[in-house]
Amino acid sequence: MINILVNELKGFLRNKLFIFLSLFFLIALCVVTFFGIIQNKKQVEAQKIAKEHIRLQWDEMEPSNPHSAAHFGTYAFKSTSILNSIDEGINSVTGNVLRLEGHKQNDVAFSEASQSLLISKFGKLKPALIFQFIIPLFLIFFSFNSYTSERSNGRLKLLLIQGVSLKQIVFAKAFSIWIIGVVLLLASVLVQLLFNSTQLSADTLLRLTLLLSVYAVYFFIIVNLTVLLSVVFKNSTSALSLTILIWVIWTIFLPSTIGKTAEEIFPLPTRIDLKESMAEDRSKGINGHNPREDRRQALEKATLEKYKVEKLQDLPINFSGILMQEDEEYGNKVWDKHFGSLYNQLKAQKYIYQIFGVVNPFISLQNLSMGMSGTDMHHHLSFLNQAEKYRRVFIKSLNDEYAFGGSKTGERGWKASNEFFRSVKEFQYQNPTFRSFYSKYAIDFFILLFWFFILLILLSFSSRKTLDI
Amino acid sequence: MIRLKNIHKSFNQNKALDDLCLEVNQGEIYGLLGANGAGKSTTMNLLLGFLQADSGSIEVFDSQNNLNNKNVKIGYIAENVNLYPYLSGLENLDYFCKIAGIKYKTEELKELLSECGLESDAHNKSTSAYSKGMRQKVGIAIALAKDASIYLLDEPASGLDPLASNELSEILKKLASKGATILMASHDIFRVRETCNKIGILKKGKLVNEILSKDVSSNQLEEIYINFMKN
Repeated sequence: MINILVNELKGFLRNKLFIFLSLFFLIALCVVTFFGIIQNKKQVEAQKIAKEHIRLQWDEMEPSNPHSAAHFGTYAFKSTSILNSIDEGINSVTGNVLRLEGHKQNDVAFSEASQSLLISKFGKLKPALIFQFIIPLFLIFFSFNSYTSERSNGRLKLLLIQGVSLKQIVFAKAFSIWIIGVVLLLASVLVQLLFNSTQLSADTLLRLTLLLSVYAVYFFIIVNLTVLLSVVFKNSTSALSLTILIWVIWTIFLPSTIGKTAEEIFPLPTRIDLKESMAEDRSKGINGHNPREDRRQALEKATLEKYKVEKLQDLPINFSGILMQEDEEYGNKVWDKHFGSLYNQLKAQKYIYQIFGVVNPFISLQNLSMGMSGTDMHHHLSFLNQAEKYRRVFIKSLNDEYAFGGSKTGERGWKASNEFFRSVKEFQYQNPTFRSFYSKYAIDFFILLFWFFILLILLSFSSRKTLDI
Repeated sequence: MIRLKNIHKSFNQNKALDDLCLEVNQGEIYGLLGANGAGKSTTMNLLLGFLQADSGSIEVFDSQNNLNNKNVKIGYIAENVNLYPYLSGLENLDYFCKIAGIKYKTEELKELLSECGLESDAHNKSTSAYSKGMRQKVGIAIALAKDASIYLLDEPASGLDPLASNELSEILKKLASKGATILMASHDIFRVRETCNKIGILKKGKLVNEILSKDVSSNQLEEIYINFMKN
């Protein structure tokens, strides 16, 4: 089998068209990867400058009212890893920055992120686009007649008479083409390693290795499928037509159809419906600027009892700060209720989408590619959760300063000191490690391996027969 | 030795072989004559294992008299030898030897190619520039390199010039004298008469006549053949 494999590779290397196309893809991949890295570095630098600027704003903030500072707000930055330059995933529509402000939570569910299942990969030239759409086509074109050409020109008989089995011939051919795909993958990874050696953490290396493996498995699926069809149909034109048709269905037609199906099964409420129901929930409770009287009175009574005074003016603290924090917490509850269920819907949609990998391994590949690159919905939701947690701590510290920092009820003009604003900690995004997230991709891994083994078995089975060649 | 007994083979109701019985003994060169569609290639494909007979039995013995052993070495020369165009004649021969598990030194391979009539200056040239006859010579070398006990030849002289064709005849005779069993299908009455010991005429899948070459001249053989084809 090794001899056949070496001969196949020799054939490719002596084929001018193949050399031209391979070099073209190799250069394109290296250039795209390199520019991706440059772009990523620029983004990291831009984030660093923006973070420093915001920190400076807080450090240099003149004494002001904490509630005004809460509305002045801050920003949460999702740090980008070098893997983002391979697959941008949904980052291209969600962005990496989030504004954090009092009373206002993010509404990702109604940003374009909610359409993450349907996001087209076309448009931005990233290595993932080449890996997912172009290299498979390249592999199809070089494998569709690898078997049929041997059969039609009679060389297959000569090979079989030499004592090799049809299985050996077929698998050697499939492997030789697969090796070419893997070489292209390795070239891209090598460029990553070359220009990002200082940024490589253990987690990044693990993700990069898995990313490489996942694409390698997918390439094997594509090559095996193409060779299988050529063995079954014994005709180059039929094999090519059918493989291209399957490729189109897998990459263009099914992702969109399955995405829409998942949205039908787990529909999201419209923005208007959600806002109305949230407003209704909120109006029933405390409002910082216009609190509902009975709840306000209950809070007021509890506070007066706690401090054993009769009037708000006698309180040693500022009741407005307590009231605002209470409103914030009620708002958080309302948000948790509505957006929590919305997040669950998004996760359920994603799960359904993942399950459909059984009919379309391209879906599993895309999910894993984005997942390994840290640019999928799970990673974005993790960022949003971290940002929201920080926002709550951030607003509470401002409200607490307003309530307990030295002002009294009714002192609307009271201002917190610059030292306080300097002490407010900034948001630090913790990129989730792959280990903490692997369970979310288990199904994609499993499905991709399922395709891998099924095609391996089918190809092995179809090449058992040497009669009627 | 090759023995075909009462072989029947049909393709979609069309009879390709009809009760074919044929025997080629060790050290014998058997020529199978017949028009296009007579069943010559089907017979070859049955012997090579690429087709299965509907009924009847096929027995192939090696020089040690092992019956239908998987290790029986069969050398095969097709009518059109398609080589790998990106390899030279020498590389093609080397490749086919390697996959057959036969180890030859480069000099031995070159010698083999020369013995089969391929000029030495063509050994290292890409076979994409080879004529049909040159490719055929490499095909013959590939078959001979196996040092087989059975040789199946489907129009082996196709594309060969008269000199090379004569050289092939001599090679085959030499192989037969060493104990090889050779079955050769051809249209070339003269070449078959010159090369083979026994000649069979196939018509519509039936072996209609068997002649010993020593009993007929080429002209007589042609006459017999034409008569069978006309009737």
